[in-house]
Amino acid sequence: MLRLSWSTFRDRWQVFIGAIVTVALGVALVQSSLLTLISAATARVPAGLSSAEAHRVRDGRDGALALLGNTLGLATFVAVFIVSSTFAFTVVQRYRELALLRLVGASRRQVRRLLFGEALLLGLVGSGLGVLAGLPVMRLQVWLLIRLDLLPDGFTSAWRTWVIGASVGAGVLIAVCGVAAASGRAARVRPLAALREAGGDARLMTVSRWLLGVVFLGGGIALLVIVPHVGPDAAIAMALCSCIVLVVAVAAFTPLLLPAASLLPRLFAVGPLGRLAHANLRADTRRGAATAAPIIVLFTFVIGMAGSLGTLGAAARHETASGLRADLVVTANQEMTARLAAVDGVAVVSEETPVAFDLGSVEDGKMTYESSDGLSVSPAEYGRTHRLAPRSGDLADLHGDTVAVLGSHWDVGDVLRTRIAGTPRDLRVVARYPATISGPQFLLPAGLGVERTDSRRYTIQVASGAFAAAVADRLRDAGLGRDGTVDTAAGWVRHEASDRQRVNTNVMVGLLALAMVYTVVAMVNAVVVAASSRGREFATARLSGLTRTQVIRMALWESTALVAVGLFLGGLTASATILSLVGAVQRIVGVTIVSVPWTLIGAVALGSLAVVGMTSVLTALAATRTPPVRLAGTRE
Amino acid sequence: MSTRERFQQTMGDVRTAPAVELRGVSHLYGRRETAVRALDNVDVQFATGSWTAVMGPSGSGKSTLLHCAAGLERVTEGQVIIAGQDISAASDAELTELRRGPVGFVFQSFNLIASLTAAQNVAMPLRLAGRRPGRQEVHGALAAVGLADRARHRPRELSGGQQQRVAVARAMVTRPAVLFADEPTGALDTRAARSLLDLLRSMVDHNGQTIVMVTHDPAAAATADRVLFLRDGRLVDRLERPSARAVADLLASWDA
Repeated sequence: MLRLSWSTFRDRWQVFIGAIVTVALGVALVQSSLLTLISAATARVPAGLSSAEAHRVRDGRDGALALLGNTLGLATFVAVFIVSSTFAFTVVQRYRELALLRLVGASRRQVRRLLFGEALLLGLVGSGLGVLAGLPVMRLQVWLLIRLDLLPDGFTSAWRTWVIGASVGAGVLIAVCGVAAASGRAARVRPLAALREAGGDARLMTVSRWLLGVVFLGGGIALLVIVPHVGPDAAIAMALCSCIVLVVAVAAFTPLLLPAASLLPRLFAVGPLGRLAHANLRADTRRGAATAAPIIVLFTFVIGMAGSLGTLGAAARHETASGLRADLVVTANQEMTARLAAVDGVAVVSEETPVAFDLGSVEDGKMTYESSDGLSVSPAEYGRTHRLAPRSGDLADLHGDTVAVLGSHWDVGDVLRTRIAGTPRDLRVVARYPATISGPQFLLPAGLGVERTDSRRYTIQVASGAFAAAVADRLRDAGLGRDGTVDTAAGWVRHEASDRQRVNTNVMVGLLALAMVYTVVAMVNAVVVAASSRGREFATARLSGLTRTQVIRMALWESTALVAVGLFLGGLTASATILSLVGAVQRIVGVTIVSVPWTLIGAVALGSLAVVGMTSVLTALAATRTPPVRLAGTRE
Repeated sequence: MSTRERFQQTMGDVRTAPAVELRGVSHLYGRRETAVRALDNVDVQFATGSWTAVMGPSGSGKSTLLHCAAGLERVTEGQVIIAGQDISAASDAELTELRRGPVGFVFQSFNLIASLTAAQNVAMPLRLAGRRPGRQEVHGALAAVGLADRARHRPRELSGGQQQRVAVARAMVTRPAVLFADEPTGALDTRAARSLLDLLRSMVDHNGQTIVMVTHDPAAAATADRVLFLRDGRLVDRLERPSARAVADLLASWDA
């Protein structure tokens, strides 16, 4: 059977190109992410760094690890998804050939083995290319992570020979997982189908497809329902997770959704060409579904992730702005409370210093510590420059070995086991606040000797009757601006938000760029494979009086309609994700905030339109090169 | 084999069991209300070593008869017995075994696997049955259809007539008890058709091969030992040792 697999593979490699590129890309990313992940995780923080710098290196590394982990997961998922849609489609195209095998004595198991053999070959070829491509990809990935300030300058990712085994294993696994569903369908092909003109008359919505759709839809809805009830950190991860789960469900149900969704472009189907294209779309749901699937994936991820992160960012900004009762914010690297307070018109100065300490927990009878972020404050002043509503306890008690917690499971009176500057300290919880989106999670009293990780921040209230702008000028005149920056509260909130937004955008670009490359490959692949079997259909259309240009216009119209349908279904899926996150934000901030990335949606829609449109024009041109009379009578 | 011997065999020797037998076979397409009775209580025996042509107008059920007899289509009622085995309730695995052994097929579209050479196509049924085909076996089958020198050619490098011969070699390599042919000359020009029919004739005459063939070409039917006429799913007439003229006349009479 392997020999037959090999000969089909050799003969039909064009059909498999998309899948090979996908596997190679997946393997390259898995390998590069894995190597970088290990190098980053095992890298020591260089000696001789100040604690603030060391903290920043650790923070960045945590971000890099999370991004790499996500990349690993997403790369594998998208690769399996695309390979499986490729195989599903090739099985349909090869209906007659598979039936023929059954006719000359192949058992169901042999047909299944044939496909698995092809997948194995595809996996091996793909992972071979992937191992090679992994080297430049790794360099690119490290460069990107350094650019995004997630890894320190000069970081290198070490090559480990065993990774070849992991890469090839991943490639073969991706291909074999991708073929699993298609092989089941192939095994059900009846021998008599070899004699039929059109083999693809089998039901599109098979039992397994229903099952897959229902299970994933249920899982996705469950995630969406949970999202508003978990903390802000988990919410974004679960939202991304629900994106993936829902996209599988939507892809499974696409054959059902497509006819309904194509009512949308129906409105624009004017003239005979538009109507013919629309009829084609409705008639060949399978081809439509195969082409629409990667578009749906792309739009779901782009809209879902950008929308989620945007919503979270807007919410964080709103939260910071509404929680601040200050007029000015000064950032400085020096302690300057007294100097600030001495300036005319300054009423309250609250010093807030970002700090890091080790939070201990008992695991298997052993104490383990994990670095945590907090804010060191003077309770009285902090209470005056911020709006705070404790669930229980009182911030006024924050002195000595105490701590205030925001949105955690501890309650007033509990004791946190910590290590501060190397010595174990037990901190008693004196106040408990609701969770916030932008942090901090812990408020510590000043004078605890906790390590500072960033510039000191001073939130300042001006005296009643004084003008904030005038006070700001006086602060600058007093030379206080030289050692730091003086900003209005609103301006500071804006800067903070755009800083956070930049980090989010970086992470998103890192992940989405990957999803985009993948889906573009899949889109081109789907269009090429679909067009390869349409020579005869195009020829018939031309024999019925269509010019070559009209055939191409028809193909273009179809692809435009498919992009629209993909945008619609992807947007629908993403909206569900964003809405659940809006629910989460609403619970935390108390305000309904939605951010829709319209520019990004527009750009991605135009980009996909260009890719799909161009590919379908080129493939239609190629398919109509031969005079129609010669093609109309042949079989594919 | 003399004409006389062939005649005896054609008439059906009571001592040899038929290669294929249909007992009260009916086949319905579609659901209850809109069901179409493609075959209606057909009883027929195909004697070992005989060549039977099945004719009839489009929609008469001749292809369905062939498919049911070959185990490609399940019968709604009745029994199909091939080489002494009742296949009406056979499992998919049993039907697969049947296709690997006692049953071979040739169709109008040559149905070769495009990516394999002629020799590989011929070897396919043996390989699928888990056997390692000897060179001699495959080459013998190709030589028998006059294509010994085309073993390494791909289907697209062969003419239609040659492709159909490869298909015959592939069907015959397993030495099937019965060869089912559905319009085997339908896609061939007259010369290629003639030479294919001669090949089938010699397989019957010299090796005692049983052939059941569906055709609507009177010339092809005239090469067979007997012709069965089907109309609306029922056997309506038969001719023994027909001439092309007799077949054509009978067809015309049915059309009238």
